[in-house]
Amino acid sequence: MRIEKCYFCSGPVYPGHGVMFVRNDCKMFRFCRSKCHKNFKKKRNPRKTRWTKAFRKAAGKELTVDNSLEFEKRRNIPVKYNREMWDKTVEAMKKVEEIKRKRQARFIMNRLKKGKELEKEQDIMEVKKNIHLIKAPHAGKAKQMEEKMLQKVQEDADMGDEDI
Amino acid sequence: MAMYNFKKIMVVPTAKDFIDITLSKTQRKTPTVIHKHYQIHRIRHFYMRKVKFTQQNYHDRLTQILTDFPKLDDIHPFYADLMNVLYDKDHYKLALGQINIAKNLIDNVAKDYVRLMKYGDSLYRCKQLKRAALGRMCTILKRQKSSLEYLEQVRQHLSRLPTIDPNTRTLLLCGYPNVGKSSFINKVTRADVDVQPYAFTTKSLFVGHMDYRYLRWQVVDTPGILDHPLEERNTIEMQAITALAHLRAAVLYVMDVSEQCGHTLPQQLELFNNIRPLFANKPLIVVANKCDVKKISELSEENQKMFADLSADGIPVIETSTLTDEGVIQVKNEACDRLLAQRVDNKMRGKKVHDVLNRLHLAMPAKRDDKERPPFIPERALLRRKAMEVDAPKRKLEKDLEMEMGDDYVLDLQKYWDLMNDNEKHDKIPEVWEGHNIADYIDPAIMKKLEDLEREEELKERAGEYDSDDESEDEEMQEIRLMAKQIREKKHLMILESKEKDVHGPRMPRTAAKVERKTLEKEMSDLGLDMSDKNNSHYAEQARRSRSVTRKRKREASVVPPASKTRSQSASRPPRDQSGLRDTKMVKKAKKMMKNSQKGMNRLGKKGESDRHVFDLKPKHLLAGKRKSGPTDRR
Repeated sequence: MRIEKCYFCSGPVYPGHGVMFVRNDCKMFRFCRSKCHKNFKKKRNPRKTRWTKAFRKAAGKELTVDNSLEFEKRRNIPVKYNREMWDKTVEAMKKVEEIKRKRQARFIMNRLKKGKELEKEQDIMEVKKNIHLIKAPHAGKAKQMEEKMLQKVQEDADMGDEDI
Repeated sequence: MAMYNFKKIMVVPTAKDFIDITLSKTQRKTPTVIHKHYQIHRIRHFYMRKVKFTQQNYHDRLTQILTDFPKLDDIHPFYADLMNVLYDKDHYKLALGQINIAKNLIDNVAKDYVRLMKYGDSLYRCKQLKRAALGRMCTILKRQKSSLEYLEQVRQHLSRLPTIDPNTRTLLLCGYPNVGKSSFINKVTRADVDVQPYAFTTKSLFVGHMDYRYLRWQVVDTPGILDHPLEERNTIEMQAITALAHLRAAVLYVMDVSEQCGHTLPQQLELFNNIRPLFANKPLIVVANKCDVKKISELSEENQKMFADLSADGIPVIETSTLTDEGVIQVKNEACDRLLAQRVDNKMRGKKVHDVLNRLHLAMPAKRDDKERPPFIPERALLRRKAMEVDAPKRKLEKDLEMEMGDDYVLDLQKYWDLMNDNEKHDKIPEVWEGHNIADYIDPAIMKKLEDLEREEELKERAGEYDSDDESEDEEMQEIRLMAKQIREKKHLMILESKEKDVHGPRMPRTAAKVERKTLEKEMSDLGLDMSDKNNSHYAEQARRSRSVTRKRKREASVVPPASKTRSQSASRPPRDQSGLRDTKMVKKAKKMMKNSQKGMNRLGKKGESDRHVFDLKPKHLLAGKRKSGPTDRR
């Protein structure tokens, strides 16, 4: 029993689900659901269909080259069962999965950082241009002027005192 | 010599059918419409055609019959004799002769009547002539009824005869009825001949085929022969005799040692001596059948002597039992070998051989050195051969195990697995974990790889790759962000408000709606201005003044006392283009706005903002003319 990969969206095809199409050149295509199957029949290229994993990897939106991804590989030579090897493998799997998730998340975060910078710049521009919508230009000016005048009066008074 | 295929002879119809078929064919395939008033040559031609057509049909069909049936002189004498035995040569020839005569008669009739037709002078006469012609032809055929029936029966029987090739290697079985000839052929070939306890079960010749020394052999089974002179033999026995006479085969004379066939051994020997002349030039073997019941050694002295005599004569006597298969293969081999030897001998004596021999050359490779080079047989093959001979007991099968254990038996194929540790054979092997196949991760070097990966991961962590960038943004940035958010919200609200506006009614200028003091102050305070204590502000004063007599502040200096009442009233209200305007800058701006809003109207020549008159409801340049290419939304 194996969990196969859908040809179109690269999602998991569990046993008892999906459709398999065998072409005249003996190539097998598995599909996880009729959405992928119908898209395939319409001759759409999964590398250009934006919601598929194939597109994301090809467009550099997800982590493609990494050591943690090298662990899961289809091996064509069967290995004889050996209890300790299987145990070790299951544990290794769990650890590798963790690391893989961390790395994938990191990759996506790095990609989105640029967006954050752009956001920052946009905010600054927005504020510069449209500040008048929330704050009148001379909002605190009256007070400022008052304070300034008071200050000046005080200074004059001081000056006058000095003179005297 | 024409090649005959007995199975492909056309069906011979009965006389009645024949006549019906031909006449209906004539009716269908020749034109049927004719009138009195046609020209006479046309009428004559019409009827002549019918006569000729019928004659043609009869002629063709009869010729076909004559050519299909084999001429007894043209076929192999074996078949000729066989047909004579079965169908009587004379009768056969007579029947065919009659058909031939009928054919000629029909031709003559047609010829005569066609000649007569030339002198027919009316439709009626021609028609009668045609009727007469066809009638005569049909009568001729009616007289052949019995011949046709006979030929049909011959044809059916002929097609069912077994195809015996008279020239190839053949084994012939003969003997008294019920001695075991049919059983023998059933054993040796794939033929399935009837075997029954009564005599004359086999009533005709049967052929079976077998292989020996990479060659095909025919085995012919004959009906049993009784011991009486040739003239008194019936059809069935005659078939056997014919076969014996004509086929160049190895003869197997089958005898019943146990005398179960109903004839004693001396009788069988009598028969053998009587038909001995038929065995000239043929390799002969005496088959002593039914030896499971009685062996030759158990016989009486005289009978044993009989067999001894035969062997002394040079005729091999082999004991067989078709029931227990004893000696059957021996007989077969012996007969085949002898026949082959004889055939080769004959060929060698002939003239054709030298042509072939000259071209044949058997090459024997010369020995290079004294080294022995025996054929290589792998050990296991030798062992297996030994095992086959000894018939050693095989290993215990699952089936045997199942039989032993009965209901307790459980099929457990895992016990045969060849693993490194035997105690793991019955483990439940996990296959899937959280959507991943474990088989994809199995790798002898996985632990090493994992170690490398973890080391890498540690390095990365130390290098700070995984530190979360919850940026320590400075306060300024945070403020800016907040303000930007507010700005966006405000913008959104403004858009929504403007969508809610009623644009279907008349467009009122901005100043038509009275602005409440409260809303003004609220808005301004939202924008951050200090709106407390604004009673002396311009707008508040204006509001107070609007009901009472207006006091223009700016014009106070140069005010002219009003002359009359109307003048005073109009003077007390500021003119429209000055009310609400503070300074010249504002006045200028107001004027500019006014001019702007009038631009559109003036350009279109409108009298005012309410002028909606359309001078040309149906402009000709848009509505006349053909529908040519171009957008059609400008009609």
